[in-house]
Amino acid sequence: MLAEGFVRFESTAKPEARSIPPPSNDGEAVEALPIVIRPSTGFLHLDLRAIWQYRELLYFLVWREVKVRYKQTVIGMAWAIFQPLMMMVIFTVIFGRFANIPSDGLPYPIFAYAAILPWNYFSEAVARSGRSLVTDANLLRKVYFPRLIIPMAAVLSPIVDFLFALVVLFGMMVWFGIAPTRGAAALPVFFFLAMCTALAVGLWLSALNVRYRDIGHVIPFVVQLWMYASPVAYPVSMVPENLRVIYGLNPIAGVVEGFRWGLLGKDNPDFQVIAVSAVIVMALLVSGLIFFKQMERTFADVV
Amino acid sequence: MSDLAIRAVQLSKQYRIGAAKYRHNTLRDQLADGVKSLFRLRNRRKRDKNTIWALKDVSFEVKQGEVLGIIGLNGAGKSTLLKLLSRITEPTEGRAEIYGRVGSLLEVGTGFSFELTGRENIYLNGAILGMKKAEIERKFGEIVEFSELEKFIETPLKHYSSGMYVRLAFAVAAHLDPDILLIDEVLSVGDLSFQRKCMQHAKRLQKRNATVLVVSHNMFSIKALCERVIYLSQGRIRVDGSPAEAIELYERESRLHIAPWAQRVVGGEQDRQGIYVTDMQLLDESGHRRSVFDYGDRMRVRIRFNAVEKILSPNFNVSFIRSDNVACCNYNTAMDGVTISCVFGEGSIELLTPPLKLTAELYTAHVMVWDDKYERLYSAQVGDTFHVRHDVLNTHFGVFHESAEWLGVPDGDKASRMKMSGGVER
Repeated sequence: MLAEGFVRFESTAKPEARSIPPPSNDGEAVEALPIVIRPSTGFLHLDLRAIWQYRELLYFLVWREVKVRYKQTVIGMAWAIFQPLMMMVIFTVIFGRFANIPSDGLPYPIFAYAAILPWNYFSEAVARSGRSLVTDANLLRKVYFPRLIIPMAAVLSPIVDFLFALVVLFGMMVWFGIAPTRGAAALPVFFFLAMCTALAVGLWLSALNVRYRDIGHVIPFVVQLWMYASPVAYPVSMVPENLRVIYGLNPIAGVVEGFRWGLLGKDNPDFQVIAVSAVIVMALLVSGLIFFKQMERTFADVV
Repeated sequence: MSDLAIRAVQLSKQYRIGAAKYRHNTLRDQLADGVKSLFRLRNRRKRDKNTIWALKDVSFEVKQGEVLGIIGLNGAGKSTLLKLLSRITEPTEGRAEIYGRVGSLLEVGTGFSFELTGRENIYLNGAILGMKKAEIERKFGEIVEFSELEKFIETPLKHYSSGMYVRLAFAVAAHLDPDILLIDEVLSVGDLSFQRKCMQHAKRLQKRNATVLVVSHNMFSIKALCERVIYLSQGRIRVDGSPAEAIELYERESRLHIAPWAQRVVGGEQDRQGIYVTDMQLLDESGHRRSVFDYGDRMRVRIRFNAVEKILSPNFNVSFIRSDNVACCNYNTAMDGVTISCVFGEGSIELLTPPLKLTAELYTAHVMVWDDKYERLYSAQVGDTFHVRHDVLNTHFGVFHESAEWLGVPDGDKASRMKMSGGVER
C-alpha cells in the first residue's frame, strides 16, 4: 500500500486537494504543499521564490552586520569615512608625490578617492562573503533557509559604509570644483556591476571555503593583489595597449573606470574595457550560482 | 490522508566518517574533482568503505496534532532525522512529505549575537527561526514577559548569565507558532523551575493541535508529553508504538551503555578499555531488587565486571545522577580505604551505602572504573534508575538532607511562662 502511494506521488505533479491548515504566517502565501524532501539530482534550479520568502531574514542578517560592526567603538560610523580617507592620503603621498603617477588630468587625491570608494566596497564585500558561510556555521547546521542568503547579506552590508564614504566624495568634488558629467546617471549601473562581481566571487569562495579552509587564509592576499591589478592607484592609460584586453578581464577595472568617468568627467572612458568586464561578470555569476547550489547540499554535513 | 502532517518513506542518510574524507594527491586533483562534481549526476559515495548509515529505511507517518517522541542512544540517528525533516541536510535515499509549516528547535539561541542587546536578539533570533517581523513585533511583549528579563532587555547579550541566555532563547522559541514543531532536547537545558516552564509550554502546544516531534534522553519528559514513541537504534526504527512499549525496550537494550560524557575518553560500544561492567543491580539492605527506596534506606549495589586485561589498582565508583543531569553523590573504593591490587577476568564487588540522604526524586546510578589516582578512566556506564521517596523532602530542599545538631535552642517552657505572667521573669 505504501509502494502504491509512492509510485503515485512520483509520477504526478500536483497532489490532490486536501484540508490545508490555515496559514499561520500573517497571510503570506505558503510554499506549495506538500514539501517533498528527497535526494536532489542533476542541476538544482535557482529557487528565487524561496529567497523572496526569506527576504526578511536577509534584511535582519544585513542589519546585524551593520549594527555589530561599530558597537562599542568611539567614533562609530565615522570609521566608514576615516578608512578610505586615510587610504587616499597614503596613495597621494606614495603614488601621487613620490612615484609621480599621472592622474588623467585630475588632482590626484580625488582621482584616487573616486576609485578607492568602489574598491573598498568590493574588497569588503568579497572578504565578508568569502568567510560568510564558515562564520555562520552554526546557522548552517541548525536552521533551514536558502543558503544563498548568507553571501547575499555579506555583499549587501558594506553598502552602508559605501554610502557614507560617497557623501565625503561629493564634498571633495565641491572642494575641487569638479562637476559630474551625464555619465553620473550610470553610476548605479557600475555599482551594480561591482556588487555582482563581489557576489559572484563570494559565491565561489564561500562555497569552497566550507570544505577547503585554505580559501579563508588566501582571501586577504588575493584581494590585495586584485587591487594592484585594478586602476585604483593608477590610470588605465598607463597599461600598454596590447595588454588592454587582458586587463579588461578584471571586472573591477570596468567599475573603476565607470566611476571616474561618471563623477569626474574623464575625456576618454574606455568602453572596450567596460564591455569585456560586464561579460566576464555575468559568466562568473552564473557559474558561481551553479557551483554554489551544487555544493549547498553538503554544507550542513561538512562545515 | 487528509489529516497527515508528515510522511517519511525509507529515509536514509549516509555519512562519510574519519579524517580521510577526500584524499587527493595534488591541488590539481582537487580542482579537477571539484569541476567534475559540477557535472556528476549520480551519487558515487555509496561505494566507499569509510561510510556509515546514520539512518536507514526509516518510514513512518504522523497525523496532525500528534505528539511523537523519538528516543535512542547517542548516535542512533535522532538528530539526523530531525535535520532531514528540517531540510538542513538532504537524505541519501528515500523521501519525506511535509504538510504544513515547519519550525525547528534544534538548539536554543541559534544566531544570537553577543554584541547586540536582548531586544535586538529577539528580533534576530525570531527571524532566523522563521518568524516574520510583524509577528515578532506583535509577540514582543509576551516574549519579554515569558523570559522574565524585562530589566535586562536593553543590555548586550554578552553580559547575560548562562541562565538568562537560555531563558531569552527559549522565550523566543516558545512563541514560534508553526504547524509542525521539531524539538531536539532543548527541554533538557536549564534549571529545574525553567524545565517545568518548558513542560507547561509543551502541554500548551498540545492543546493548540500542533504536531510535535520531540527528541529527548529524558524518559520522564517523554512519558509526560508523548502519545506515541519511536525508538531508534543504529539508524533504524526498533519500535514505533506506545511510550511504555518503546521506553521499556529502550531501557532494556541500553542497560549499562557507555555514558555519553565518557564516550570520547572510553570509546563507543565497540571498543571497551580493559575492564567493563557486565551487570549492576540495585537492591535493598536485605538483598531484594528494588527501584523505589525510602529516604534513609541503605542500598546495595551489586556489580559484576569483566577485566579482559590485567588492571592494577582499580577504583570502583558509583555515582547517583538526578533526572535533570545533576550529579548528586559519589561512592568510591579509593576514598573508602579499600585497596584492590589488581583484577583480571570476571569478578564482582558490592557497595553498601550508608542511609540515603537524597531528597525525593528520580535518580540514575552510574558506575565507573578509574585507577586509584583518578588519572585514567577505564569505563563509565549508565545503570538503572531508582526513586527516592519521602513525604516532605522534595528537591526544593536541595540535593540532600541530613540530621544535624542544634545548639542554644530557646527554652519553650520559659517563654510560655513569661507570656502568662505578663512580665519579665528574673
